[in-house]
Amino acid sequence: MGFLSPWFLGGVLAAGLPVYIHLLKQHRSEPLKFSSLMFLERRAQSSVKHRRLKYLALLAMRLAIVLLLALMFANPFVRRSAAAAGGRKFVAIAVDNSFSMRAGDRLGRAKQAALDVVGSMGATDRGQVMTFASNAQMLTQATSDKGELQRAIQGIQPGDGRSAYGEISRTLRSLGQPDGLPVEAHVISDMQQTSIPTPFAELAIPPSMRLRLHSVANDREPNWYVESVNAPRSIFQPKKVRVQAVVAGAGTPAADLGVELVMNGRTLETKHVKLGANGRATVEFYLPEAAYGMNRGEVRIPGNDKLAADDHFPFAVERKEATRILFISDGRSARSATYYKAAIESVPEAGYTVETVSSDQAANISPDKFSLVVLSDVGSLSSGLESNLTDYVKGGGGVFVALGSQAAARRRVPVTGDAIQETRYASREGERFQTAGEVDRTHVATARAGALDEVRFYQTIRVTPGKGARVIAKLSDGSPLLYERKTGEGRTLVFASTLDNVANDLPLHASFIPLMEQSAHYLAGYDTSPAQYLVDSFVELRSARDAGSAVDVLDPDGKRALSLKESATAQAFRLNREGFFELRRANGRNELIAVHADRRESDLDIVPKDTLALWQGTGSPESQSGGGPAEQQTRPYSLWWYFALALLVASFVESLFASQYLGAEQEPQPAVRRKAA
Amino acid sequence: MLQRYLDPSVLASISGLELIARTVVDGFIAGLHRSPDFGFSQEFAEYRAYSEGDDLRHVDWNVYARTERAYLKRYRGETNTQLTILMDASASMAYGSHQVNKLDFCRYLAASVSYMSNQQRDSVGIVVFDDEIRNYVPPSARHGQFMRVLHAIENAQPGTRTDFEKPFQHCANFLHRRGMIVVLSDFYAEPDRVVRTMEPLRSHGDELILFHILDPQEIRPAIKDPVLMIDMETQDEIEVTPEYMKTEYRQKIDSHIAEVKDRAQRSGIDYFLIDTSKPLDEALRDYLLIRQGRA
Repeated sequence: MGFLSPWFLGGVLAAGLPVYIHLLKQHRSEPLKFSSLMFLERRAQSSVKHRRLKYLALLAMRLAIVLLLALMFANPFVRRSAAAAGGRKFVAIAVDNSFSMRAGDRLGRAKQAALDVVGSMGATDRGQVMTFASNAQMLTQATSDKGELQRAIQGIQPGDGRSAYGEISRTLRSLGQPDGLPVEAHVISDMQQTSIPTPFAELAIPPSMRLRLHSVANDREPNWYVESVNAPRSIFQPKKVRVQAVVAGAGTPAADLGVELVMNGRTLETKHVKLGANGRATVEFYLPEAAYGMNRGEVRIPGNDKLAADDHFPFAVERKEATRILFISDGRSARSATYYKAAIESVPEAGYTVETVSSDQAANISPDKFSLVVLSDVGSLSSGLESNLTDYVKGGGGVFVALGSQAAARRRVPVTGDAIQETRYASREGERFQTAGEVDRTHVATARAGALDEVRFYQTIRVTPGKGARVIAKLSDGSPLLYERKTGEGRTLVFASTLDNVANDLPLHASFIPLMEQSAHYLAGYDTSPAQYLVDSFVELRSARDAGSAVDVLDPDGKRALSLKESATAQAFRLNREGFFELRRANGRNELIAVHADRRESDLDIVPKDTLALWQGTGSPESQSGGGPAEQQTRPYSLWWYFALALLVASFVESLFASQYLGAEQEPQPAVRRKAA
Repeated sequence: MLQRYLDPSVLASISGLELIARTVVDGFIAGLHRSPDFGFSQEFAEYRAYSEGDDLRHVDWNVYARTERAYLKRYRGETNTQLTILMDASASMAYGSHQVNKLDFCRYLAASVSYMSNQQRDSVGIVVFDDEIRNYVPPSARHGQFMRVLHAIENAQPGTRTDFEKPFQHCANFLHRRGMIVVLSDFYAEPDRVVRTMEPLRSHGDELILFHILDPQEIRPAIKDPVLMIDMETQDEIEVTPEYMKTEYRQKIDSHIAEVKDRAQRSGIDYFLIDTSKPLDEALRDYLLIRQGRA
């Protein structure tokens, strides 16, 4: 006999409570003065003792309740032979339907092995069928109906997920002992090496469980596959767009492979690459053309192996118009425009085009046509343009304001209206220059901006940010260098210096490009979501602002993946298979998402036999020896139910005793009261 | 209406002992029916022919004017009695389960009897005792005697243990004239021993009346939980249970009461059990019956 949760035996200490109540508290009689004890004889105490004895029965019941409660929670068990359970057992059948099971007829063999297990089940055995990849999925409830189990097995379809043996072990652990029966678990898989978890302990199964591993792959099979494709999510200038693909082999000999680039079903280009044994090579393509809108791309290699599903790699490309940025300066110096334009256009993936105008010319331009407006040290701004810019920001636009000596003459920051206090020059005798002191790296604009503290600021504009402003960077004297103001739906970033390499040397530093790029992304609302997704990853469907708006998802077969209710409420969607998913987000944008299987599944190397034996050995000892007669096996049999029953009986008896001993006295009369002499 | 003042709990709210005595007696008398068996000393009884040596103050001169014969008026109470009250003031007398404890009840009863006797011009005296004589006022019919007796009653405080030998020995030594002796006690002693200490007085010709004063909780105790009983005289302790008090104790106290009564009656001593929760008129009625028989 043992205890499954022995630490609950500590509850036995609670038995001291009824002992305290009975032995210390119960016998504390209240003294009462009486005229004479002439008629109260000593033997009257025997009556008290008798009463105490009766209370001891009550005490015994209460002690029994406490002890039974502690024992019940400690979950005592005895080892019983399997024969005591009538030879019945619970058979858990877990079939691997991960991506690698698509190789050859692995899944077919796995299903056949599962059917064999069902066939070997006794008439009274109960069974349950489940599949697993990255997650386990129950296909049936526990049942003795072999037909139901067989139908479930035959209905198993190949998946695109990545198998995880740690996950199936966790699921088996959670089974416990259904109906008190001994559990026999059958894991049917290709026993892929890459699916073994790094901490081997995750594979452990309960000692009471008998684990049988069925491998449907005998040897490592060679497999070539497209490992990854690096393609831009959006393209603006086709002649500059480059697509990189990595092809690799696992367990393969050296070979020449023809790699194809396919767009919308058309093979655009084929390149040949030489791969060594177990080699890896990179192939580069330049997209010759892409139609406006969403394009379905693919990189393919010839199917020379048994796992054909990884011989192509999907990617999605959207061709759209470049994002326009309106750069407004006072027209006296083109240096700031030059530096800014060079920085922005050095990131072709973003697809920004910068249009430079003077403040006079800008009076006739509507900012609504631009994703971002930059005000570079603008001294004079027409009231009409400023009003347009304010409305533009309120409507969701973004404005970047760089302040210089010209802007300081206005005494207030354009658009935000924040007060400008002074123009501050670093002196030759004193500090000579200022640097960026405190930088908030959690903000998108500065997250990748690098070392701003190396930038020398010779002239800065001291501004008092208005209420609600977020200071992103400060100068060494604590005054704001970069801060954000939200107005309506839009945002304004105010930079307290210029972009012209005069008031500072920022344009000469490496941090200038990422700072300008990220600021532009942030203000223009550039979508930075990943271009490719793994199978079983999640994509966010709506933000908190889009609550209540409908979204839609079309799976690779073109069918709706969401119910009506889900389309109105779902926050995220699990991409459960490889291929192209079309999303229509709550804000009305349509997206094409390419989903690919985890390429670790493409390595078909199998787990060594000793590792499998080790895994199998975490179960009952007979698992290692391949099992023995059921009659000779002993399994723990929990006794908590009997203790719970005894607890119920003890509680009932205790209530009877308590009502008998501690109930109200019959013939109630006023108690004798002590009268002071 | 005055009868409600016979209730001990009502009397407890009256401060002066004299006032209590007057209230009790007046209330008691007001409630009596006219009966030849009961009367006061001022009630007319008969005429008797004057004989030489009679006090001329008692001659009924109206009769003499009509008949020219001298007759004396005789009253029932004119047969004076010497009353001695023996009041137990032991510690056990301080027990009480309600507003009036046994000693208070004894005070009311002694004061009332004293007042009645004083009205009848009887000599009244008192002995307050526990295991010693605590106070003694010799019987007398002199002016102010009632107040002396009241003073002795008022000053009686619970003492220690009870010993009946010393007070009765004292009475035997100092009471030469025969009279009535009223004993007020809870008689927590052996009945045979109590009565034997009284028998010499009885044989001397005194009329003894025992008022056995007990609290209702002493006669029929009711407790709900086991309690630790502390003897008020000896401070001994015994833990008792409700079952015991309901059964064996009741049998023992009933047996004790019956034995005291039986032993007293066999020695020609009048015995009355008084419950301190009951009005005083029963005790007064008993006293008057004895008093009248003696007259």
